[in-house]
Amino acid sequence: MTTATFIRPDGKEKVTGSGRYTADLNLTGQLHAKLRYADHTHARIVAIDTTKARALPGVLAVLTHEDVPDVRYGIMVKDRRLFAKERVRFEADVVAAVAALTPELATEAAALIEVEYEPLPAVSEIETAASDGAPLIHEEWASYEGDDEMGRDGNVLGYSTIVKGDAAAALAAADVVVKGRYLVDASQGAPIEPRAILAQWQGDRVTVWSSTQVPFAARSGVAHVLQIPESNVRVIVPLLGGGFGSKCDFHFEGHVAALARAAGRPVKLVFTREEEFVAPDHRREGMVIELESGARSDGTIVARRGRLVLDGGAYCGEGGFFAQLAAMHACGPYELENVDVSSTLVYTNNQPSGSIRAPTAPQVCWAVEQHTDELAEALGLDPVELRRRTLLGEGSVSPTGQVFGKLGIKQTLERAVELIGADGTPAEGEAVGVACGWWPSFGVPSGAYVKLNGDGTGTIVTGAQENGSGAVMGLPLLVAEELGMQPGDFSILYQDTDAGPWDMGSSGSQTTFNNGRAVVEAAREVRDKLLDLAAEKLEVAREDLRLADGAVSIVGAPDRSVSIAELAGEGTAILGKGSGAVPENPPAEPGEGCLGRLGMESFLEPQLFTHAVRVKVDRETGVVRVLQVAAAHDSGTIVNRIGADGQVYGGVVMGIGQALSERTEFDDQGRQRNPHLLDYKLATASDVPRIDVNWIENPAENGGPQGSKGVGEPPSVPTAGAIGNAIAKVIGARVRELPMTPERVWAAGS
Amino acid sequence: MSVPLTLTVNGVAYPLEVEPGTTLLRAVREHVGLTGAKEGCDDSECGACMMLLDSRPVNACSYLALQAEGRAVTTVEGLAADGGLSPLQEAFLEHGGVQCGFCTPGMLISATALLAKHPRPSEEEVRIGLSGNLCRCTGYDGIVKAVLTVAAAGK
Repeated sequence: MTTATFIRPDGKEKVTGSGRYTADLNLTGQLHAKLRYADHTHARIVAIDTTKARALPGVLAVLTHEDVPDVRYGIMVKDRRLFAKERVRFEADVVAAVAALTPELATEAAALIEVEYEPLPAVSEIETAASDGAPLIHEEWASYEGDDEMGRDGNVLGYSTIVKGDAAAALAAADVVVKGRYLVDASQGAPIEPRAILAQWQGDRVTVWSSTQVPFAARSGVAHVLQIPESNVRVIVPLLGGGFGSKCDFHFEGHVAALARAAGRPVKLVFTREEEFVAPDHRREGMVIELESGARSDGTIVARRGRLVLDGGAYCGEGGFFAQLAAMHACGPYELENVDVSSTLVYTNNQPSGSIRAPTAPQVCWAVEQHTDELAEALGLDPVELRRRTLLGEGSVSPTGQVFGKLGIKQTLERAVELIGADGTPAEGEAVGVACGWWPSFGVPSGAYVKLNGDGTGTIVTGAQENGSGAVMGLPLLVAEELGMQPGDFSILYQDTDAGPWDMGSSGSQTTFNNGRAVVEAAREVRDKLLDLAAEKLEVAREDLRLADGAVSIVGAPDRSVSIAELAGEGTAILGKGSGAVPENPPAEPGEGCLGRLGMESFLEPQLFTHAVRVKVDRETGVVRVLQVAAAHDSGTIVNRIGADGQVYGGVVMGIGQALSERTEFDDQGRQRNPHLLDYKLATASDVPRIDVNWIENPAENGGPQGSKGVGEPPSVPTAGAIGNAIAKVIGARVRELPMTPERVWAAGS
Repeated sequence: MSVPLTLTVNGVAYPLEVEPGTTLLRAVREHVGLTGAKEGCDDSECGACMMLLDSRPVNACSYLALQAEGRAVTTVEGLAADGGLSPLQEAFLEHGGVQCGFCTPGMLISATALLAKHPRPSEEEVRIGLSGNLCRCTGYDGIVKAVLTVAAAGK
């Protein structure tokens, strides 16, 4: 069902201001928390003295590593403690936490904690961290429990290669060869809601209200760091004010729960904007990207060599798969005869990296797509024509041995080019650029219940998490269609780990893809029950019944019917449950490389896309203005049009920000120099143009409900690459640093 | 030391006692108890805290509660009466102008002030008028369309 106008169920509370976000909640007896962060980006802790903080009137709890179980946590590598013990490794490592009567007292007490350090050499620069003899960020790395597929070694947190054929020989024999080195600065998810957490114990159970994208991961994190059963932890997410990945993973729920237990009172933590910049173990990773490709004169890409180094920051978080994912994007959705790509994720003393909307993809795509235009130029081919000849198609085999079915990537290219209207001579200072990309759909378990209420309405109980995208808000569309009801007939009980089944949360563009299948399965069970009940009541065979318009009627005798309200109102529990079969990742061949089986070696039902942009460059100042964006996406069948369109509009604008202005600057010690929205520039309404969105709806065979794929992450992927290609056409030179700030554009063009 | 203050919010007079340094945002959220306006940055950068002060939009995070005494404060909760929705609130929902919703209260205040001053703005004027309000979800598309639609309807 494609619904052009669908009012999201949480809409009214959001436009009236009556909806509650975590920071809006307060509990009787509530205290306020403040975290004490490290004073150095890399240092040994000699001593921590909390005497003065504890003595301040109004302070009810002060915690350090001594007050919580001595365990490390981490989804892929257990490399972090709730409170730093021997060492601090980045500027926002948490050394202590305070709960006090007021936020002001908590801040004062946190500052009174005295920490003695022995400073250690800090490593902020990515390639330095990867070099021989660099100071080890984690001396005890080898003893950490972690995923064996990552290829960890000293400061190397992850290592992955993709090797196919003999790239060196193919390059030597190629008609043209181009090389390029690209540098990417770190950037941020920067949700407008700074995170907030509120915890309250009742007996042995703790309830945590948190602005997290992943309540079940938060629950297991709290249970692990406090060494209590998961069933003693309930995580509730009030309305979530955006995340974009930055609120994935377990973060600070453990600190607040521990404070609340120690103080014997509810405790609330609300981040400042500066904390939201520096403290989460989630920001977009900086990179060094070196690419070399060779082609025959007809455009066939005979070889790609790539070397990538990614800044993992001080802790792994959930980003341990980034090296492999970046390697996949270094290949891109192209036919490559020979490949030799290596990708390394390194520890540094910078803020930890973590998934931000399509992690690794916008940066690598930006480099690869500019590199592709360079190759086209060397070949004397139009960049669009080179892509026509080299993009993957049905039957193509990827460098990791994945064999593809129908792929809409070339359709997205043609559509985007058509929409941007690239014909004719561009105006002075203007040019059009194009970039293509791919991103996997993630098949993971999910679950939901659908129950009918006595008045004939229904309730969807789901473990899925709404991040704002509308993915959960769109679930009633799917259920209503199965049950012959209206989307407005359904309420949704969600974002409560005590209510819905386990879910991965709002990450990996997975909600409709996985939870959509789950709710459809649950709805079908309800449908079966309704038909059984109606068959009994109407005394006819089930096969003769049809369920539509809120009633079950007899085919051919529509006047003989029974309403859903009547069937549900008789007191029989009408409840369906579903998980849906999880599609398996397509097989991949490791070849001769060190592939790493981290789940990214093949792309399940890849989302495919092309953005075409028209930009204007002021050569005198280097200022770039994006005048028009055409975004064509193959995300399979679109089940909620207004929601899907919204993902593209928002993703493109995030892409424009990443392309031109968004940049976290680290000093040589790894401290952020611009942790505020004045100098970390998000695109405003007046910075961006209207955007044309177009969907290539090829139903996915192995996809989500109705042949859908994921939607949410890809829209931010190719925009920067397209802008880079357009800039290069105007200034006649490549901007090889991201973001492409006015200074960098001016310097490249001078 | 707290000082007495009468703050008129959405037409209701609230007798309060606040520290002189209390911001308008904190007074309204914590003392009055209306949490529609949000704190996104506490630095006048994001616009999530916007309120109308005698019909003029201000960043309430950077405005003292005491400065608002004797003036009419309007928050997002005051944009429509009797549980209804204003034309802008309706249009935001219809055009996909709301996703996570955290910027929405400030954005609606900004848009309301814009249309009060310029009932027939061009698209460029809408974009410039809303450029003090950051939205990370919608790409501004649905928001701009909503404002232009309401302006065109002349409601």
